[in-house]
Amino acid sequence: MPQEFKQQQSVEQDRNEDEAAVRTGAQIDGTVDALDAVLDDIESVLESNAEEYVGSFVQKGGE
Amino acid sequence: MPQLRDSGNHSTTPLGGRTLNEVRSFARIFGVETEYGVSVTGADRACDASQTAMMMFQPIVAKARSTNTYIENGSRLYLDVGSHPEYATAEACDPMDALALDVAGEQVMHDLALGAQRRLRATHGAGSTIHVFKNNVDSAGHSFGCHENYLVRRFVPLQTIEHELLPFLITRQLFTGAGRMGESGFQITQRADFLDEAVSSATTRSRPMVNTRDEPHADPDAFRRLHVIIGDSNRSQWATMMKLATTHLVLCVIEQAGREDRESGFGRFAFADASAANHAVSRDLSGVNASFDMADGTVLHGGAVAVQERYLEAVERFVEKHPQVVASLPRTDVREVIRQWRDVVQAFRSGTSAMFADRIDWMCKRRLFEALRRRGADGISRDKLEQLDMDYHDVANGTLYVSLCRRGAMRQLVDEERAREARSMPPADTRAALRGRFIQLAESRDARYSCDWTRLSLTAPERMEMTLIDPFDASPSDQFRAMLEAME
Repeated sequence: MPQEFKQQQSVEQDRNEDEAAVRTGAQIDGTVDALDAVLDDIESVLESNAEEYVGSFVQKGGE
Repeated sequence: MPQLRDSGNHSTTPLGGRTLNEVRSFARIFGVETEYGVSVTGADRACDASQTAMMMFQPIVAKARSTNTYIENGSRLYLDVGSHPEYATAEACDPMDALALDVAGEQVMHDLALGAQRRLRATHGAGSTIHVFKNNVDSAGHSFGCHENYLVRRFVPLQTIEHELLPFLITRQLFTGAGRMGESGFQITQRADFLDEAVSSATTRSRPMVNTRDEPHADPDAFRRLHVIIGDSNRSQWATMMKLATTHLVLCVIEQAGREDRESGFGRFAFADASAANHAVSRDLSGVNASFDMADGTVLHGGAVAVQERYLEAVERFVEKHPQVVASLPRTDVREVIRQWRDVVQAFRSGTSAMFADRIDWMCKRRLFEALRRRGADGISRDKLEQLDMDYHDVANGTLYVSLCRRGAMRQLVDEERAREARSMPPADTRAALRGRFIQLAESRDARYSCDWTRLSLTAPERMEMTLIDPFDASPSDQFRAMLEAME
């Protein structure tokens, strides 16, 4: 569990396992680099047929 | 059905000691029900939503002989009206547990989809790809939901909740909205255009914001179950966590006022037209520019932020006065929730909300769309933006959300391991612990059984049945032990 919402007494014991998660969380704030990397990651989505993709999602209502 | 009752506000019989203590406390049961949408792309021939959903549920039907089942972690997995795979989290008394169960549900859907995809490729071509959307609108404008459940004390009249909670629910969307690229441009919420009446007893035909169906799945003399319809399906784990935790705190204030038989003070935030306010909030990306006609005839300026500031101040004062609220959540630090709530509201107030783009779904999407434009893709079509919007919500084959998390552009509160654990382990401190143990043992012994939220039923090797009426009670009764022994 991340540290940010966690009650104090249980924070200490989880510190080590949480470190990685906290690092990731604090890593960026609107950096252009991260978003550029994301845009590279999703290149196949960007190149695929958007019209087919969007149009194929037809569901009846729910609830 | 003992838990189906009228909507009265007072107990008809004296409450037992344990129940009385629960009613007097600030403890809460949380639940999140998520309807998913499905589609197929890349297939040689058409495969509609109902075929796709049925295909996903084949393994469930083979095992449970039904499309309605409960799984090892105590949560409910079923096929809902309109071919929506649906997952309802087991009872949790901490928002963080509810979140972990919700993320586990995403994994369940992911695995069901990939299994179905393998079978589909044999009949519909090797390119067939199944998409399972944790969103709220399809391309034809059909809307479906993510409903939150809160166990609330019966002494608070539903009408009070409608008046005092609804302005909070509408304006919290500033930080809980999932965002949507639709025909009229980008909006903060997925659902503002589809929700009309403020409060109603029906859900499918009209689309209310708070549902009043009185099925508490608990002692009906002590509790009711508040069913919140107005809420987007979040990918952001922070948003799911914050929407449950902040709503809990506002409910604590309303309930305490009920205990003391006085007004909570939230009545003065009532909007003249909840639907109009909802639309205005959804379209005001600044959070501070919208104005609202209030029920008392005044006009409130300052957008969703102005309303959130008022609720937040009231909750801060309340927690100072009632320090026991801090201990109302077993694992979550209430003061930290309040601090982050204050941070996000202040960020909108001071024009620095961009720092929350790694936690707020709609801001994360919008920032990505801007990055796309910056890259010089001026000719980017609305279809492409809609596709990216949908891909963000695809828990089966989506690439965008996964990439955003990996690159640190979206925060996660629950790691893979915790989510996997939540998939097979119910919360230890609610009734779900008993349901989960029962299911796990029944599965391993090949027993025949069924259950629902308040009932465990064994049909073979023996016929036995028991009721679990108290959602806070995780202790195995003699009757429960006898049922387990019957399966051993």
